[in-house]
Amino acid sequence: MRLALSVLLAAPLLAQDFSHRGFLETRVTLYPQTTRGDSGRAVGDALLRYEPSYKASTALQFAASFEARTDTHQQVERRWDPSWQDRSRRRPAFAVRRLSATYHRGRFTAEAGKQFIRWGKADIVTPTDRFAPRDFLAVVDNDFLAITAARVAYETRSDSLELVWAPRFTPSRIPLLHQRWAPLPQDLPADLELRDAGARFPGGSQFGARWNHIASGFEWALSFYEGFNHLPLFDARLLSFAPPRVEVERFYPRLRMYGADAAWPLRWLTLKGEAAYFTSRTLQADEYLLYVVQLERQAGEWFFVGGYAGEAVTASRTTLGFSPERGFAKAFVGRAGYTIDPNRSLALEAAIRQNGEGSWTRIEYSQAFGQHWRVTAAFALIRGSPADFLGQFRRNSHAAIALRHSF
Amino acid sequence: MSRRFLVLSAFICVHLRFPLLPAQDAPAIIEETQRRSRAPSRRNDGVLQVIDARGRITEKRWQVHQLGSYGNSKTILRFTAPPEVKGVALLVVNHPDRSSDQWMWTPAIARERRIAIQDRATRFFGTDFTFEDLEERDVGQFDWKLLGEGAVDGAPCWRLEGRPKEKKVSQYTSTLLWIRKDNYVGVRYENYKKDQLVRRLNLSDIERIQGIWTPRRWEMSDLARNSRTILRTENLQYNVPLKDADFTVQALRREP
Repeated sequence: MRLALSVLLAAPLLAQDFSHRGFLETRVTLYPQTTRGDSGRAVGDALLRYEPSYKASTALQFAASFEARTDTHQQVERRWDPSWQDRSRRRPAFAVRRLSATYHRGRFTAEAGKQFIRWGKADIVTPTDRFAPRDFLAVVDNDFLAITAARVAYETRSDSLELVWAPRFTPSRIPLLHQRWAPLPQDLPADLELRDAGARFPGGSQFGARWNHIASGFEWALSFYEGFNHLPLFDARLLSFAPPRVEVERFYPRLRMYGADAAWPLRWLTLKGEAAYFTSRTLQADEYLLYVVQLERQAGEWFFVGGYAGEAVTASRTTLGFSPERGFAKAFVGRAGYTIDPNRSLALEAAIRQNGEGSWTRIEYSQAFGQHWRVTAAFALIRGSPADFLGQFRRNSHAAIALRHSF
Repeated sequence: MSRRFLVLSAFICVHLRFPLLPAQDAPAIIEETQRRSRAPSRRNDGVLQVIDARGRITEKRWQVHQLGSYGNSKTILRFTAPPEVKGVALLVVNHPDRSSDQWMWTPAIARERRIAIQDRATRFFGTDFTFEDLEERDVGQFDWKLLGEGAVDGAPCWRLEGRPKEKKVSQYTSTLLWIRKDNYVGVRYENYKKDQLVRRLNLSDIERIQGIWTPRRWEMSDLARNSRTILRTENLQYNVPLKDADFTVQALRREP
């Protein structure tokens, strides 16, 4: 890491092969309703992201991404020591978001370090995307986290084989226990005191392989993953009856995935499908099939994606867990976008549970000003029953406005 | 002076001014146009100005690398400005017998997305070029017809009509093409949907670069939206060392 960092910091001296980009964004999110344990109605965030890259030779290049952030709602750490592991409950104030070296020769590519690895072809729910933990502090408005891994890819004209080994586990960041996005049952006693007992992180490594085939007019991939679920299950321990005190500890079950995904452009629409079957040696973990079938089309200035995300549980064992990807299953999902002109766009996203128990709808308007500025305004409406994954967040409908300066 | 000598003199004069040309049927003109612009590879920067119906200008910049020519070429086009689209890239793999394959890489979500054929009528990143306009038009994918002659900016041109063959999926029903007689450069493309002219591409500022007559200014007009995009090519070089492995989906991920 130090070597890569020093190369990157020295890179501006060799400016021709050095490039960078970044942005500074401030965002205000307004919640009309309060929730249990969270009376805040306004959350302010500021994020600075800087992404330098340096091409040392035609074969070797380095890429990095650094973040500094703060907020008004204690979702960001107040300590400024840099974070590499992304294992903290709160977002780090300063983080090395990405730092990797890529070596490329002929058909062979290898990347090592902290990097983003994305698998799958579907859009809203991606069951095979196992090396992509996310920041779920605000469940419906999430961002990807990089992982520390080595990735090797060998590519021919129509096939590519990708092998990934991640020596250290990176979990998804889940909602904070005493804030509005915490997925707590509604019937908890009012005087119950919940205590976060931290997490038991698994010690082993993770491995994955993906073979992608590009045929004339369509493509498909098969994937395999052996490791741990980046989404946690919970162990709850009763500390005392009166007053009632419960301690909650996160743990990450073992996971094996057999996955497949495909994209098939038809005459009028593109059909995309993605499915993964998950098994586990952890006794508390479910075994299940998660799948998505979606159709998409661009027409004029419009972009449409619509489909269904389904789930079939083959072994039900979990009592307490947090899984947005399964929470969005058994639902109709869709996204539509309209480009008004080169500077303005509108987007609509929605997920509606097939039993009607929960729904999430988000509408967004975005406008650029000049070469550097963009304003984005969004409104998210969440409805449903308290027992539903989406419905439990029904008091978290919100409006947000963000101002971004890109450089 | 004999009649035979006069005819011979006239023949020599004409062909000193205009070199010997192949038979002037439409496919031959197109083939000659492609032959003269053929290069093993090229790279250039591009400055795009999108001018909307109200006259507002948006500027973008990209860098283009191309390996091969007509039919079997591969192109990677990568935005370098403005900052919010920097790194967005498009890979176009052209085929001699069918429509191209295209993938777009979006760094913000670290994913590539295949652009389906039916989606290629969509404007490319807010410009007046559609995804289809960014692929090459190989002579074998169209039925060409010579309609006559005309002039563009005072330069004598052949006027041809191209209609896509069955295997070529195109948003356009036909294209009218003007090719200059003096240097075989296509200087105007008029694209029709049924009988309606929808997009016009004018090419100008033609310079001879490394022996190839090359238009430096491309102006695409979307007649329905009343908007236009001006593309100026800069730092153009032919025959640059490029490798086949730099034009793959994996290569899209490797930002320069």
